[in-house]
Amino acid sequence: MFTLPETRFDFVGDEYIYAEISREMSIESNYKAISITNELRKRNIPGIIDICPANASYLIRYNPEKIAGQDLKDYIQEIDIKKSNLSELTMQIRIIEIPTWYDDPITREYSLQFADRHQHPEMTDFEFVMRGNGFTDKNAFIEAHSSMPYFISMVGFIPGTAWEFQIGVPRENIIQVAKYLSPRTKTPARAIGLGGAFTVVYPMESSGSYQLIGMSAVPVYDEKRRLAELNDVVLARPGDFWKHRPIDEREYQRIVDEVERGTYRYRIKEVEFSSEKYLLYGKEYIDDLMEGF
Amino acid sequence: MLKILEPGILTTVQDLGRNGYYHLGIPPSGAADQYSFQLGNLLLGNPIDYAGLEITLLGPKIEFMKRTVFNLTGAPVEAFLNNQPLSMWENIEARRGDVLSFKFAKKGVRTYLCISGGIQVPKVMDSRSTFTTCELGGHRGRKLIAGDLLEIGEPLPGVLKQVGRRVNKEFIPEFKKKIDVRVVLGMISYSLSDEGVRSFLNGEWKVAVESSRLAYRLKGPSLHYENVETPFGAGSGFSNVVDTAYPLGGIMITNSEELIVLLNDATTGGGFMTIGAVISSDLDVIAQSRPDTMVRFMAVTVQQAVQERINKKEKLLKFAEMLK
Repeated sequence: MFTLPETRFDFVGDEYIYAEISREMSIESNYKAISITNELRKRNIPGIIDICPANASYLIRYNPEKIAGQDLKDYIQEIDIKKSNLSELTMQIRIIEIPTWYDDPITREYSLQFADRHQHPEMTDFEFVMRGNGFTDKNAFIEAHSSMPYFISMVGFIPGTAWEFQIGVPRENIIQVAKYLSPRTKTPARAIGLGGAFTVVYPMESSGSYQLIGMSAVPVYDEKRRLAELNDVVLARPGDFWKHRPIDEREYQRIVDEVERGTYRYRIKEVEFSSEKYLLYGKEYIDDLMEGF
Repeated sequence: MLKILEPGILTTVQDLGRNGYYHLGIPPSGAADQYSFQLGNLLLGNPIDYAGLEITLLGPKIEFMKRTVFNLTGAPVEAFLNNQPLSMWENIEARRGDVLSFKFAKKGVRTYLCISGGIQVPKVMDSRSTFTTCELGGHRGRKLIAGDLLEIGEPLPGVLKQVGRRVNKEFIPEFKKKIDVRVVLGMISYSLSDEGVRSFLNGEWKVAVESSRLAYRLKGPSLHYENVETPFGAGSGFSNVVDTAYPLGGIMITNSEELIVLLNDATTGGGFMTIGAVISSDLDVIAQSRPDTMVRFMAVTVQQAVQERINKKEKLLKFAEMLK
């Protein structure tokens, strides 16, 4: 029913096999990447060092002295063909609110500082994203970015980074943007960036290439474990939903203070998510899951 | 114990690195020039995964708080014990109160200090390597600062008899201003046109100042690319892809005149196209190249890459054998 074209396999360097499920992003490709890499991890194959699912692909690192690359590729290919039943994925997930201050002065300042690496140095990142997606009204853009939740399709980059892909929105309405021409050397912690069709909250100060559109009031990484929900240090879990809620400067400051004091509680709802139901009912199913949130 | 009197530019505790956490965004870290680092441990008779110090360009000033044996490998540098010049690639005895100091490195970037019994910081996720980006491992997750005290292991039995022992010249790597780096092309190289691949391989690439343990940036000839519409979700820049995991040594094109090579403290994924990876045995060479070094990339097959890897490993084994 939900068939995908054949995965393309490629060797990279002497330690890697890259499996490209599709070049374009789709929820189906992402589910496939998750289920194949789960299966591979379960099999505990000697010689495999890392198993990294990504948005529409996965990457395997192996030790070529312990396992022949060609044998491993054939082995993975077989799993890839057999395990393509996407409807069987059911997950316990959390819907988490990310209070978001859009078009804030902090990220605006970074836009200016790194303007020389930008397609349109005269615009802020926020303006660039907004205009490029046909919006003239700031509030209409914020509404489009925040009305539906995002699901976590990939983690990595640096610990705590989660790629958010908007769910329950027709493809033509998903906001998209080009990445920086050359990565920034600095991005503030909790900045919200957009690149391609993905939104990320930068977990800590780091390099970055996504266009900055706002600040999250809440951390997604905290090695000090000030908040109960960050006992695992990292907030993101693959499959979870994150919902951005627009806030103003006053509320932003209030929440940042609460986080500082350790009194902040994330707004969370736990639900069971079925990929089958989503692929069948789309937005209607997401609206059901989001009820009361 | 080692007492850090002056920290140098960037001195960190490193071992061979931590594996198995890459999918969570945690790269291996570890000595960026694994070959030089391993020679240092082997010469001392340490297990090769014992932790040492990675010293960057300008070394620290260190006081030894107990008698032990150490050596210096990697980037050539003038070093002194109590202001007396000492040789690199040789086991040196340090007595309690001796002070080790450095001048600015002449060539290369990273010099290693290995010490009998290893540096004894606690292991984090099976490794003592420092990952400064998220303050993980090493000594308090950060580069060393003045006043730091580092626990060191007891000198291993018999190590004093190894003082004066040297690494033979045939095993010592060269540190050049022009380097050849071998790559296996693949992954998303299809987005480059044939002409683009040719200019990547024929051109000379210059190491930029913004290069670090995380990634090297290189500037070079303009790369021709296939002018196809980027896939949904990628973003509209020609180098934009739907975000993938990044291989270590991965060569990413960010714009048509810049590329990035990921090293030990890599970001583990992102949305620029990867056109291949530097073979694992040449990563040491990249990590030792300074800004303005000229780099040429040479395409090899996976089989050749694996053979090179085995050759380098056998060289280390041969060295270990000679010490017996």
